[in-house]
Amino acid sequence: MKGVHLGELEELVLLTIGILYPEAYGVAVMDEIKNLGRDLNISAVHSVLTRLEEKGYLKSHMGDPSPERGGRRKRLFILTADGKRALQAAFEMRTQLYNRIPGIALQLMHPLALIRT
Amino acid sequence: MSRKQLPPRWADRFLEWYCRPELLEEIQGDAYELFKRTYAKSPLRAKWLFVWNVLRFFRLRNIRKKSHLQTSFLVYIAMIQNIILVTLRNFMRNPLHSFINLMGLSVGLTCVLFIILWSSYEFSYDRSHTAAVRIFKVLSHVESDGTFQTYDVASVALDVSTVPEVSKIVSVASGSRWPFELCFRPDEKLNECVYLNGVYASEDLFSVFSFPIVAGDPQPLKHNGSIAISEKMSQMLFGDKSPLGKTIKIDDTREVVIATVFQNIPDNSSIQFDFALPYAILKKQWGINDDQFSKQFFNIYLLTHQVIPTAQLTDRINREPVLTEAIKQDHISYEAYPFADWHLKSKFENGKNTGGQIEYVYLFLLLGALVVLMAVINFVNLSMARATLRAKEIGIRKVTGAGRGAISMQFLGEAFATVLVSFIISLFLVQMLSPLFNTLLGKPIVYNIWSGNLPLYLFVLLSIVVVLAGAYPAWVMSSFEPTRILKNQLNTGGSRPGALRKTLLVIQLTVSVVIVVFSGVLYQQLHFIQNKNIGFDRDHVLRIEPTYRLLLKFDVFKQELLKSPFISMTGTAGANPLNSGGGNTGVTWPGKLPDNNLSFKTIPCSYEFPGTIGLQILQGRDFKQENSDSLRTEVLLTESAVAAMGLSQPIGEEIQIGQSPCVIIGIVNNFHTSSLHETMLPVILYRIPHKQSSAIYVNYENGKTAEALEYVKQVYRQFEPSFTMRYWFQNETYQDMYKTEVIASRLILVFTCIALIIAFIGIFGLVMFNLTRKIKEIGIRIVFGATSLEVYLLLFNQFFGLLIMSLLIAIPVAWLTANTWLQGFAYRIEMPWWIFVSSGVCLAALILSIIWMQAFVTLRTNPSTSLTRD
Repeated sequence: MKGVHLGELEELVLLTIGILYPEAYGVAVMDEIKNLGRDLNISAVHSVLTRLEEKGYLKSHMGDPSPERGGRRKRLFILTADGKRALQAAFEMRTQLYNRIPGIALQLMHPLALIRT
Repeated sequence: MSRKQLPPRWADRFLEWYCRPELLEEIQGDAYELFKRTYAKSPLRAKWLFVWNVLRFFRLRNIRKKSHLQTSFLVYIAMIQNIILVTLRNFMRNPLHSFINLMGLSVGLTCVLFIILWSSYEFSYDRSHTAAVRIFKVLSHVESDGTFQTYDVASVALDVSTVPEVSKIVSVASGSRWPFELCFRPDEKLNECVYLNGVYASEDLFSVFSFPIVAGDPQPLKHNGSIAISEKMSQMLFGDKSPLGKTIKIDDTREVVIATVFQNIPDNSSIQFDFALPYAILKKQWGINDDQFSKQFFNIYLLTHQVIPTAQLTDRINREPVLTEAIKQDHISYEAYPFADWHLKSKFENGKNTGGQIEYVYLFLLLGALVVLMAVINFVNLSMARATLRAKEIGIRKVTGAGRGAISMQFLGEAFATVLVSFIISLFLVQMLSPLFNTLLGKPIVYNIWSGNLPLYLFVLLSIVVVLAGAYPAWVMSSFEPTRILKNQLNTGGSRPGALRKTLLVIQLTVSVVIVVFSGVLYQQLHFIQNKNIGFDRDHVLRIEPTYRLLLKFDVFKQELLKSPFISMTGTAGANPLNSGGGNTGVTWPGKLPDNNLSFKTIPCSYEFPGTIGLQILQGRDFKQENSDSLRTEVLLTESAVAAMGLSQPIGEEIQIGQSPCVIIGIVNNFHTSSLHETMLPVILYRIPHKQSSAIYVNYENGKTAEALEYVKQVYRQFEPSFTMRYWFQNETYQDMYKTEVIASRLILVFTCIALIIAFIGIFGLVMFNLTRKIKEIGIRIVFGATSLEVYLLLFNQFFGLLIMSLLIAIPVAWLTANTWLQGFAYRIEMPWWIFVSSGVCLAALILSIIWMQAFVTLRTNPSTSLTRD
């Protein structure tokens, strides 16, 4: 199943790319994730992007040149059908698991709370 | 965008250098964008961030692949096959050139292999003991007049029981004559005599040192009547039978029981012995009691519990109670010295270690490095000389798509192949020549290339040679531009590589001149030593080691000897005039100033001795058979001794040696009593009876050596039928005194040959290079009517400058080295200038002959052939 499985950062990046559509590229993705309170380096974003593209969850094309990049173009990423399916699958798996948690476990803050009362 | 608002240039360039081109735009773009954004807030932070990002992007995924072409594994295989094929073809196309190239490298490598083997052998001395790093030798520094003399012995009474660090102590008494060299009789042939050398030692000899025991008691020296013998000795005395428990006699009187057989002591041990006896026997042999024995100085070794700093141990043994009052009064201080270092670093000057044998090891390693360097230079020169011939091949390769890397690989590969082949050749040569090399060194070194760290060293050597030999040609040749090569516009590297080639040749010529001159001077000095008149006859004198019994009957023995027509004279002496040991300062004479501590050599001898060794009586008379003065000892002085004492009327004057009164009866000519390294000392010959002597000297007729020796042996057999005669020729003993110099001269001769061979190859390569480049020029010159002589001069012209330059460097260097070496001799030759001149002339002649050899063919061919080529 290796290759289909999504890592946590991979999942975040995939989601961000969906959010940013159609203007998703390296720095924008990094900013979006940083806004969630996670610190990460641009090179890490790049390696995740390339990995996802290799897995077939993303495809990319070169955008227009922009002055703040010293006249260089952006590589813009969009989700592929496989990518959407992978996101879907990940989301469903989480929900499914979440739903199986018995109600009481969510109400109690801590197992020790039981003993104290 | 202003200049300042750009990110750090070096980081940007680094990114551009390593990044895969297809990823560059995106990565660089992102980095720039982040930079620009942060720059607005803090320029410094932005720069740091940019550098940080560039570094973070440096990951395998982003790094540029070596070639943008997709080359498959099969292509590489094909390429390697092709390289091998081309290497072979190149070898075949010009076998002479290739052979010379290969031989040059092989000779150089063989030389270095020998040096590496020899130095690793030297470094292996005394390191085979299990506790090698924990064994210390105790040295004594004796102070007199503010200077220190260092001896490798210490008091046998040294007691280290109060030093907690020391676990064991062993003292060893050794020497080259009786009672260390003893006659043993083989089991079944009791009238034969085998002389073997051994030691007397305290109990722990076999537990401090790891001399493996084959059979018997592991602690043989604990028992007073035991002996430990080597396998060799066991074989000699008992053949294949077990010697354990058998009794043998020492000096035909004292019986000892063989308790132990140990493995033969390896040659790389500085302690050598074939048997070991307890001290009890030594005391009996010398006839001394325990008190006298405790005043002896022997080699002392300490074994510590742990590896400890030498200074700590030295400090411990220089304190009371180890350093006793008596020792202190003799101005002695001790030093603990790492035993394993002793062999290589045993020279002491004024109490400080000043190296020793290690200097030779370093010198030869340096020479080895020079030889390899020269061989590599040749290889490079010869490869470069052929670059022109191979330029087309490179051009075609480049056109068909080979990159610089591939071409470099090809040349490195060729270099590797050649070096590997010559390495294998030199391994064979080492195996073949090792007996010769052993004779040269006078040491039986076992050549095992696969032992210890050697394979590693050899691998490193191999890699260095490959890189040195292959890198430069590979770099130059791969830089050729295909279009220019194929259009025949090649300029092989312009002027700078030519300058490099010339520099390399100058280095080679310089090294050869220095080595040749130095060996010339060395041989002159050795010749001088061989033929130096040392003041007495050393050529026709035989020295015999007598038994005490024989000395008692010396008068009869002498009568028998003189019956032979070949023997003219015989006498006895207590010291060999060739190497009579240290000087004696205890001589007093009338008018001696109290602070005068002049040193004299004192030689005890029989009355026949001065005549036997051919001393001339210049004044007074020789000793007579009858002692004319019953109270005083008769002495003969050399001229220099008389001069040193300042006596105007020496004959009949009374002097004292130590406490004994002597009378001067005559004056003899000056003569040398030690090697020519030292200045001649004044000598006093004093008369002793025969029985107090240690050697018999026999003077025989010139050219009748064999007959005289045979006769002496025969007479000896009559007197001592159960002993084999021990004898030496004085001349051989004299030669032995210069053993180091003789070995050095042989080695230098080898190096001279190698240096010349390599220089020859170097010149050969450069001549060939010039010839290939100038072949058309020569053709044109011949067409216009130049004579062969003019062409030779044209070719020689280039070398003339180089030769002069190397002579200018080499002569001062050679003069300095040779002069320093000669300073070591008190008696030496004048600097032979003709050697300098002749080596320069010889080198010029060598160059001319090489040019002649090679240009001969070119000159014979019709110039139209060379002019129409290409």
